[in-house]
Amino acid sequence: MGLVKLIVRILAIVGKEVVEVMRRPGAILSLVLGPFLILAVFGLGYQGIKRDLTAIVVVDPASKLPTDAASYQGLDVRGITVIDVTTDAGSAEQRLRADQADVVIEVPADPLSTIESGKQAELRVITDITDPVLANYTSFMAETISSALNREIYRIAAEQGEQYAVNIGGKDLSKVPPEVVASPTTPVVVNLAPVQPSIVGFYGVAALALVLQHLAVTLIALSIVRERASGAIDRFRSSPMRATELVIGKVLAFGLLGAAIAAISVWLLVSLLGVPMLGSPAVIALVIVLVLVASLGLGLLISVVSDSERQAVQLALLTLLASMFFSGFVLHIEEFQPAVQVAAYLLPVTHGISLLQGEFLSGTLAHPWQLVALVGIAGSLLLVSWTLLWRELRPE
Amino acid sequence: MKGGPTIEQPVAVRMAGVTRRFDGTAAVSGLDLEVLRGEVVGVIGPSGSGKTTTIRMITGSLAPTAGTVEVLGERPNAFKRRTRERMGYMPQLFSLYPDLSVGENVDYAAALYGLVAWRRWRRRRAILQLLSLWDVRGRRASQLSGGMKRRLELAAAMVHEPDLLILDEPTAGIDPMLRRTVWDEIHRLKDRGVTSLVTTQYVTEAEECDRVALLSEGRLIAYGTPDELRRSALGGEVVEVTMQTLFDVATLRQTTGFEQVRQTGPRSFQLVVDDAGTATPDAIQAMAERGAEVESIRELRPTFEDVFTALVDRSRSGVGAPGAAPPDPGADNDSPPEDREAAA
Repeated sequence: MGLVKLIVRILAIVGKEVVEVMRRPGAILSLVLGPFLILAVFGLGYQGIKRDLTAIVVVDPASKLPTDAASYQGLDVRGITVIDVTTDAGSAEQRLRADQADVVIEVPADPLSTIESGKQAELRVITDITDPVLANYTSFMAETISSALNREIYRIAAEQGEQYAVNIGGKDLSKVPPEVVASPTTPVVVNLAPVQPSIVGFYGVAALALVLQHLAVTLIALSIVRERASGAIDRFRSSPMRATELVIGKVLAFGLLGAAIAAISVWLLVSLLGVPMLGSPAVIALVIVLVLVASLGLGLLISVVSDSERQAVQLALLTLLASMFFSGFVLHIEEFQPAVQVAAYLLPVTHGISLLQGEFLSGTLAHPWQLVALVGIAGSLLLVSWTLLWRELRPE
Repeated sequence: MKGGPTIEQPVAVRMAGVTRRFDGTAAVSGLDLEVLRGEVVGVIGPSGSGKTTTIRMITGSLAPTAGTVEVLGERPNAFKRRTRERMGYMPQLFSLYPDLSVGENVDYAAALYGLVAWRRWRRRRAILQLLSLWDVRGRRASQLSGGMKRRLELAAAMVHEPDLLILDEPTAGIDPMLRRTVWDEIHRLKDRGVTSLVTTQYVTEAEECDRVALLSEGRLIAYGTPDELRRSALGGEVVEVTMQTLFDVATLRQTTGFEQVRQTGPRSFQLVVDDAGTATPDAIQAMAERGAEVESIRELRPTFEDVFTALVDRSRSGVGAPGAAPPDPGADNDSPPEDREAAA
């Protein structure tokens, strides 16, 4: 009889939560469709390549270097468009500050002489950028410019050397073009990935994991906080309801809702956005369930530590923000310090993104240990939340 | 009074020396209270007197700082699940779910107490019909009026047929007709052996209870049947006498049984006696012996508002009950009941 009553109570919670959520379809639509809509606009609008940096080249008047932009563009530095060449360094920097160019490249006055004297010629690349990502990119581009210039120097040197070789009778060497001598290797990229998804394809899978975590965290956290505010928790204290039944009921209810939403989202990704699904649907379902349960544990924890709906919403949004930064959604986890990486791996979505991207886009689980990690996170969070909820349901 | 308790009845609620402090301030202090099974006990007191704190200690929501609480033979902090199933609690504020319908809310409440589907369906129908909510069973709780919400709360507390019903202001905000319905249901449940502990802001509702606990500033200032409290507040029963001619009550004070007398007009006065029934002919005779003729004599039944006010005033001033001059029970009797209740 006790078991029957336990089941009755749990089913009552499940039914109540599902009905309540279904009565507010707008909230679910905005939670689920919102991120996918943004992703679709992002996919349609994002070009996938960085625009060229605009550069002004400053040459020393005494250097007798060319002063037309076309000559420098001929160096074939990808990602840089020379918009002007000038001998006035001051005006170039002024235009840089006025945002009329991204970089100013100051070419050394007599690089060959400097090199011949056994020193490195300094190629100054000046920027005025606060965005750290763009600043990094600019540094990378400076290296590229330097390499291009070095190549040009090698080419000129090779050309002169060949002329010398011809003059002394070494004819075979003259058959090798100076460009090949200056740049004997050229990169050819071979991608072993079974598919090369579009931006939407790649980020869509990650967005699915992020949406599921956010949905689960928000729904369960608000559910408990609202019950506390309305006095329902006080009613539970005098009822036969136990913390265990409350946790099981809530997790089942929001887990079922999340699973239904996940199924619709996967269908949207595959059918409408053309995301390839190379892996096993069963494994994908398993990953989704684990992400949902772990996220519900996180939401429960937020609900028991929050004393108001406002605080719960803030914590849910902070979790979302942390997930955007640290989960590998935008930036690779390997780019962070080890301590931050450990924190990142405490978020369910970090494992969710990695596992789902692997299963959808490669058809393999690259890191099966992450399944175990998700089970561990879910178990720990649910245990801590249950303990706190159990204490809350005891007399104050 | 609807029938007093018998000595043999076991105790449903026992509070002994219970104190509850919040940040060092006592909300309830040294409370001793016993509720017998099958009783309807009213807890009455002004706002902030400790009514809800007392109720929450009984339901197990709050633990006492000192003293002991026993409900249905168990300490609330160690209630067994079966014991909780025997209790029904209606909080002061609406704590049900606005997005669920009336029927869904009651069904959910019943399910929390473990009622299986067929029994839930039967009980839901019965309780909603009883509280005149059956016709709006499909309406969302957020769309109900204040009175309907109180009735819905009451339905949720009663749907599982508890042995002990704890109702925190069940009649607040509902019209007099429905208040009558609520009290009729409480009496009907009493007939089936259900114990009810009810807080109310309506002092007149004390008459509906078997016993009344009056709380003031966290202390129990009186506990007894409405008649006992009335006698305690006024020192006995009150008889109002009007003479045909001028009469000096001082001559009456020497007569045994008429020591408590108060002149209320040139020809009228009030007597406080042990039993109005036997004292009335004695008073007529005593007056006749003094050569005075009685024009009218009647027992004055003070409203419970007067009783409540007298007991609270006495508690605040620290004056003992028996010798104190009785309050004027006839005063303000013309004011509408609602006004008197609001004033209380």
